[in-house]
Amino acid sequence: MDLALESVSKSFPGVKALDDVSLDLKAGEIHALMGENGAGKSTLIKIVTGLIRPDSGRVLLDGRPVAFGSPRDALSEGVSAVHQERNLIPRFSVGENILLERLPTRNGLVDYGAVEREARRYLDLLDPGIDARAEVRSLSVAQMQIVEIAKALSSEAKILLLDEPTASITEHETAALFKLLRKLRDDGVAIVFVSHKLEEVFAIADRITVLRDGKTIAKGAPMAEMTRQALVSLMIGLAERVAEIAERQVDPARVVLEARGLSTTRGHKDITFALHHGEILGLYGLVGAGRSELAHAILGDARISGGELLIRGEPARIRDVHDASTRFRMGYVSEDRKQEGLILMHSITRNVAITIWRRLANFVGLINPRGESRAVDPFVRRLDVRTPSLSQVVGNLSGGNQQKVSIAKWLAAKSEILIIDEPTVGIDIKTKTYLHELIGEIARDGASILLISSDMAEMITLADRILVMHGFRLVGEVANDHHYETTSRAIMGCIHAVGDVEPAPVG
Amino acid sequence: MTLFRRLLLVEWSGLAVAILLGALALSVIAPNFLTEFNLYVMLRSLSVGLLVAFAQMVTLGVGQMNIAVGALGGLTAIIFGATMELYGFPLLIALPVALGIGALGGVINGLLTARTGVNAFIITLATASAFTGINFGITGSIPFYKMPASLVAFGDRHLGAMPYLLVAPLIVAVLLGVFFSRAAPGRELLAFGGNPQAAELSGISRERVVVSAHVLSGLLAAAAAVLAVAQLGSAQPTIGADWLLLSFAAPIIGGAALTGGYISVLGTMFAVLLLGLIQNGMVLAKVDPYWVQFVLGALILAAVGLNRWRAVNSGIA
Amino acid sequence: MTDEAMSEMSARRRFGLGGVPAQFGLVIIIAGFWAAFAWRAPGFLSPFNLFSVGRALAVDIVIGFAQMAALATGGMNLSVGSIGVCAVMTGGYLMQTLALPVPVAILGALGLGAALGWLNGFVIARSGVSAFIITLASANLYSGAMLILTKAVPLNSLPTEVGAFGKAKIGGLVSPLLVIALAIGLLLFVFYRHSVLGRQILAAGANARAAKMSGVPVDRVITISHALSGLLAATAGMMVVAHLGAAMPAVGGEDWLLPSFLGPVLGGTPLSGGAVAVAGTMLGALLVTTIRSGLLVLQIGNYWLQLYLGVILLLAVLADRYRALYQERRGIPMR
Repeated sequence: MDLALESVSKSFPGVKALDDVSLDLKAGEIHALMGENGAGKSTLIKIVTGLIRPDSGRVLLDGRPVAFGSPRDALSEGVSAVHQERNLIPRFSVGENILLERLPTRNGLVDYGAVEREARRYLDLLDPGIDARAEVRSLSVAQMQIVEIAKALSSEAKILLLDEPTASITEHETAALFKLLRKLRDDGVAIVFVSHKLEEVFAIADRITVLRDGKTIAKGAPMAEMTRQALVSLMIGLAERVAEIAERQVDPARVVLEARGLSTTRGHKDITFALHHGEILGLYGLVGAGRSELAHAILGDARISGGELLIRGEPARIRDVHDASTRFRMGYVSEDRKQEGLILMHSITRNVAITIWRRLANFVGLINPRGESRAVDPFVRRLDVRTPSLSQVVGNLSGGNQQKVSIAKWLAAKSEILIIDEPTVGIDIKTKTYLHELIGEIARDGASILLISSDMAEMITLADRILVMHGFRLVGEVANDHHYETTSRAIMGCIHAVGDVEPAPVG
Repeated sequence: MTLFRRLLLVEWSGLAVAILLGALALSVIAPNFLTEFNLYVMLRSLSVGLLVAFAQMVTLGVGQMNIAVGALGGLTAIIFGATMELYGFPLLIALPVALGIGALGGVINGLLTARTGVNAFIITLATASAFTGINFGITGSIPFYKMPASLVAFGDRHLGAMPYLLVAPLIVAVLLGVFFSRAAPGRELLAFGGNPQAAELSGISRERVVVSAHVLSGLLAAAAAVLAVAQLGSAQPTIGADWLLLSFAAPIIGGAALTGGYISVLGTMFAVLLLGLIQNGMVLAKVDPYWVQFVLGALILAAVGLNRWRAVNSGIA
Repeated sequence: MTDEAMSEMSARRRFGLGGVPAQFGLVIIIAGFWAAFAWRAPGFLSPFNLFSVGRALAVDIVIGFAQMAALATGGMNLSVGSIGVCAVMTGGYLMQTLALPVPVAILGALGLGAALGWLNGFVIARSGVSAFIITLASANLYSGAMLILTKAVPLNSLPTEVGAFGKAKIGGLVSPLLVIALAIGLLLFVFYRHSVLGRQILAAGANARAAKMSGVPVDRVITISHALSGLLAATAGMMVVAHLGAAMPAVGGEDWLLPSFLGPVLGGTPLSGGAVAVAGTMLGALLVTTIRSGLLVLQIGNYWLQLYLGVILLLAVLADRYRALYQERRGIPMR
């Protein structure tokens, strides 16, 4: 089945999300949809899946105009999607989640035997290890994403949309997914693949449509004729700028953070490393390797069950993030900016000043709102947050700007030890480059950074040394010569040397 | 994992144990406990409570609250009474009228909540006030005393210790149990309660779910009101005035998740039974009635604490 | 974003004294009611009635503040009534039975309120169980304990200054209780708008996880908020004692539940936390008190009062929601 969008426009208060956008999706192809955050991809997906209606323009299935009033309409026409956020019912079983839209019944009651059988059919295509009767809430993040994909597959849709489907799954599972997608394509399914990972897009897509600022910049261009530079310049409107990371001097004698044989209640064992003053120490690992959990443990958010943690040479017992921040001048840029990194309903000012309220208060303990704004302004400027005003609610900012705000508060706090977790996931390329340079500057200005990332290129651009984590253990340390081929091979070598270790379950 | 720990993980095991221990203790302390008459009285008093608890359980299942449970019950009760006493209709007509009022109240609550997007807590807080107002406005606080003899008799009849009044709630319990664990519409309700956005994306209609849940809740409240009238022998405007607390306490003690998506029919029943047991025990042991509230509060804490411990230890929280 | 989140988001635009649209609407409605009541019953504007209304208003305002303090953290406090009555009986006991000086007794009662509230907050923060359940349980625990200890015996022989304070009139019109309530309002406004703790509370209420990971001591903040809630509930209790001139165990309890929510909700404090509307809460309480007293003066059956209250609450909430949607559609920027 073919899907076409003709001159579709959609506005929200204050912003025109889609401006005369067209999309031409043919049966039996994998069509990549790319664009920076705020380019309009989510809006487009919501229109195609029936969540919202366009202000103008038409949606055509096989040349026939359709108007979806609800997700149910889209589903019944054979349009299925895997969205970015998890959309699973926590206390229902895997099988029930997969078949939620069409639970098999017998004599009017749900036939759970059939549920399990049906679900198994689709699960086995991706990961036979997942138990169809298990409650979804007991699964790992990667497993949950697999279930979502199985769910989309089970609808036997003619049109399948996948929004960042590989964000949380391992390489192994990604390979299985791609194999599946190619088979579906050969069977005539039309697939829309949205991703920020250029390598994946080049690997899997047949054609590509690029959105920028709500407009179609490239429509259905064949992937075979596309190059990385061309693609990036289409997305941001300029040639991709290579990040210029500031020159720094790392002091090998000054160790600011040291872990000795650390183990945690989350499953880490024998973690030993040292972070030096002014250094950017990378912590690389695949999803589920245990890096964020380690960061949480260091900050006092999870319990350390063994070993020692030394801050600036002194053994430290960190009780919670408040402790880490006030006593040890540590900060943490969370990988989950929407839930953990920001308070979406508050203003930029409040979000940035949250770490410095104490400092801003006068002798009676009161804060002048204007003083608060004035204190926050230089950091907002430095991070180049695009906003009409500091009272703008953070929830209304684009992903890139949101991420900048979540970093700004630690700059304001003048954190000396900063743990940055996945700083550029889902961020547009321009902002990504900007943030990379910023991280370099922060380190040059005297902060010491532990950089957690699963983006190889990012790691190799920024880090001085790279620790490799896998299965909640440190499996290697690689010196970074800033050359992609050699360093990446060394890193992957560390991971594969350990064999296929099952990542410890989350939680 | 030891058998003991395994047992603790079953949702209602704690309750079952508490009930057994309580019953045991009572039979020792108060010799009249195990008499047929006393058991009959206790079970009879549970009948209304069960339906009230179920009425709230249903809304909790979709992640909402129905503050108007008692108010709607009271309104239903007096309209039920008025239909028979003032307008002379037979019981067979008045019964569907009563249930209809409950359903209507539920429709109002559900539609207002679904269409306006305002929190059900506020909506039902307001409608509760309105229903109570109508109730007292119509009756002027004067009950309807002349209820049909057949109804009153039904309220008194029993087979051994088993009151006829309890039959209806038990049947309802079975129906609800099947509905929420095996029927597709019931699963849809719980799916919505578990993750409203996900449910909507899967094509489950938010409005339908919310309205259904509130209508069901209203129906159950109305049924409870009818039973209360049968039990009291008169249609009192004050019926429902003390339902609110029980309506939340029982499902919660029984293991329902306040955020929605998980309820336990069996757990709720055990909770009602336990509360009834305590009440009965206090009367028999001539305990200061003021202790009831205190014990209720302690029970809720204990149940919730146990649930929490359970969640943490099975690695889910 | 869900509809509920949207309506909450619109609600929080109006926190503090500065939010013009919603508060303005409330003022109009209240003025409308006053005009209507005054026209129909001239006695409505009599000094005596104004005094009574003001006195009742004072209690409603503080009860509303007690709930608002809990709502700020994203939770709620179902035990406001219970804490209120515990404070009432404790105060009475201290004044009458122990014959302590009135100020000491008042401090004792307030201290108890704060302690009970603190206990709520402590359990909520430590156990991770929702405030709804914990305060549902504690409401029963506190009320039950109070009944057991006092055997529901009212204390009628309080020092006469207490009753006299309740009957005092400033300028023949205004009850000192109302002045106290307004002063508390001012303090709360400054607290939430200008203090570090106030900001931390609102951050924790908006997103406890994010606040925690940003260095806010969330557990401590929630505990303090509930202690504040208890303190305010106790204050309301003391006001009632002054009004009645006696300490009665029938005060408070479930009677306070509806009023405690009406003020904040009508005034724009979101149930999901993260923002407070101090002026709004006061106006909300004023609306409710106005209607209640107006209906009384007009001698419209007390029975129908509940109906009107319910309908008005509904209308007010709906009107607010549609105003918010309208603003969204017009793209009117947020404050």
